[in-house]
Amino acid sequence: MTGHANHKGPTGWCRTLMGGALALSTLTAGSTAMAADPVTLKMWALVNENYPELIQTATEEFRKANPDVNVELESIPNEAYKTAIQVALVGSEPPDIFFNWSGEDAARLARSGLALDITDLGAEEGNYRNVLSEAWQQAFAVNGRQYGIPVDAVSKYFYYNTRFFDEHELKVPATFDQLLGLCGKVREIDPEMVPLPLGNSERWKLNHLITVINERVLGLDAVRADYALETADDEIFTNPDYEKAWGKVLAMQAADCFQDAPNATSPEVSRSLFSAEISPMIFCGTWCMSIFDKEGFTDYALFRFPPMTDGASDGSTNMVIPQGFQISAKSEHPAEAVKFASFLVTADMARLYAELRGAIPSNPEKVGEMDATEQFKWVAKDVGSLSESFSVLDVMLEAGVSEAYLDMGVEVLNGSKTPAEAMGVIRTAAVEGKKKLAAGQ
Amino acid sequence: MSDTSLAKPVTGPDASTWILLTPALGLVILFIVIPALLAIAGSFFTIGIGSTNWQFAGLANYTRALNDPIFWLALRNNLIMVVGSIVLQVGFGTVLAAILDRGLPRGSTLFRTIIFAPMVMSTIAVALIWLVIMDPNVGALNTLVKALGMQPPTQGWLGDPDIALWVILVIAMWQYTGFMMVLILAGLQGIPRELYEAAALDGARGLKAFRHITLPGIRNVLIVAVLITTIGGFKVFDLIFATTRGGPANATQVLGTYIYQQAFNLGNMGYANAISVVLLLIAVLLGWLQLQVSRRS
Repeated sequence: MTGHANHKGPTGWCRTLMGGALALSTLTAGSTAMAADPVTLKMWALVNENYPELIQTATEEFRKANPDVNVELESIPNEAYKTAIQVALVGSEPPDIFFNWSGEDAARLARSGLALDITDLGAEEGNYRNVLSEAWQQAFAVNGRQYGIPVDAVSKYFYYNTRFFDEHELKVPATFDQLLGLCGKVREIDPEMVPLPLGNSERWKLNHLITVINERVLGLDAVRADYALETADDEIFTNPDYEKAWGKVLAMQAADCFQDAPNATSPEVSRSLFSAEISPMIFCGTWCMSIFDKEGFTDYALFRFPPMTDGASDGSTNMVIPQGFQISAKSEHPAEAVKFASFLVTADMARLYAELRGAIPSNPEKVGEMDATEQFKWVAKDVGSLSESFSVLDVMLEAGVSEAYLDMGVEVLNGSKTPAEAMGVIRTAAVEGKKKLAAGQ
Repeated sequence: MSDTSLAKPVTGPDASTWILLTPALGLVILFIVIPALLAIAGSFFTIGIGSTNWQFAGLANYTRALNDPIFWLALRNNLIMVVGSIVLQVGFGTVLAAILDRGLPRGSTLFRTIIFAPMVMSTIAVALIWLVIMDPNVGALNTLVKALGMQPPTQGWLGDPDIALWVILVIAMWQYTGFMMVLILAGLQGIPRELYEAAALDGARGLKAFRHITLPGIRNVLIVAVLITTIGGFKVFDLIFATTRGGPANATQVLGTYIYQQAFNLGNMGYANAISVVLLLIAVLLGWLQLQVSRRS
């Protein structure tokens, strides 16, 4: 509420006074007239629940102190965004502020000079570097320089229908084998019920799953050098446990966890199967909480991907992907853009962000005051208790290797490639990727 | 009037011709010629998507295409799209046009409108409609197939690499057959009825009349229909991008989607340019063929 309805029009003498003051200020402050020129910042973000409302509120609040700055938000669907932003950034009228995931996506734009180095602008008074922790700032750091403002982080959990679990006395699995057993129990209760719908038509759903499985099987230390393409050509991705990780996906398929045709099922449909209580579980991002809540389904709780008895990880880690905003190197208003993006991570805005989006904000100062759901509080606490976090493969890996991992997910699920064949393709892509990086592309 | 008063001297284009042509010519140069030249030039370089650093690569991008199995797979899929579209769209279009030409007892306009309607829809809308129909969990097609006592494909209509391309051909047929029908119907209605009456007197009816009167009568229309379908089969992008994005496992990858993937997913702009040039050459060849055929007819 802005309270505009309570404002009264100025009286005659008041108007005269204001007119005089305006004329005087025009005469005396000619030099500041340029600085006060209206600025419209073009902002690009993903299509997200409550996002337009959030940005509109943020803009209104920001304009109280910066009346000459306006923000125009353009929301683009997830898959289209990945291409559209790359094309827009090399074009003549890129957005000033644009959403991006941290990791390789952001780093590539930094390396190619499309994202602005905001190290100094970000450190100006009131801007984000004075507010956010060093750990959060590292999310968009490339070679010690800052290329983005982290706003929030998303993670992935298993969601389960608490009413269904209570009714059938099902327990949250403590190990991966128990998860497989749970799929079997659900099928025993109702053979037509899909225990864990997987909507992989856009390929990233399984990519998120294999990201966590890789960690659970191999542990973070074993994958780090391969993911960074720092291993020698003849050794990269040769650890046989990568194949074992694919084997775990096949084990889930063999245990009837997934429905038929996961590669032809969209993420939206798989999510709806859970919120419509047709399926009792789903592996979904933390952003799913606000979607389920908005759809009126609240009888759910979450659990982390369980550890594997034959794996290297103890399960105390999880996937956490910081995301935020970068500034175009071609922006004509970089100072205003950084200022507005920094405003999004101030304590009040971060709280509003968390309330509207159900996301984990980079500025946690007022999160304790918010009227959050039980599920959100649980997630916030769980993320805080992680021993370590890792990003997702399709964001973290070099583009060619990422594509190979995405494609192999489809092929392994379809049975058209064995885990060994899949890793062969990924290895080849990794060697190619190393060459590309070495050539500075 | 004498003959000389009718004959106009043949002269070159005057100033007004150039003035009238300039806007269209400008747009063609700006949006077709310059991008095409840049694509040709770019195909000899290694370029990242946002990179200003062009590294000369000679013919490396072309030799890479020759050795790239997915390039050949995409080209093969384009050829399947071409042949399949000719058989399905032109074939069914001809059959439907023949039915309409003979005249329906009633509802001819309604029939024609229903068949033609998908043609005026955006391809993306068509793709979304079919994605919903063919969804393996909530789609009507699976329900229908099961109701008929059959088993739908376990990997889904668009998730099974063995059938996905054929399913896309059927969707394309649904969208474009109406257009072919209208095109061929116009040709059929241009054949004088007297020819059929005279042939009937000579004892030529049915298939004989179709072979000796109808087919020669619509020959030129059929050639145009086949050429339009062929060019469309090579240019196809939107329908595949909106349904499968070239998957699963490259099963529906065509040159258009492969160019996109190389350029925007993998950042190999130079290689994407080289494949575009190959596609351009195919399109130019087909355009030339179309020109020759239309001149001859």
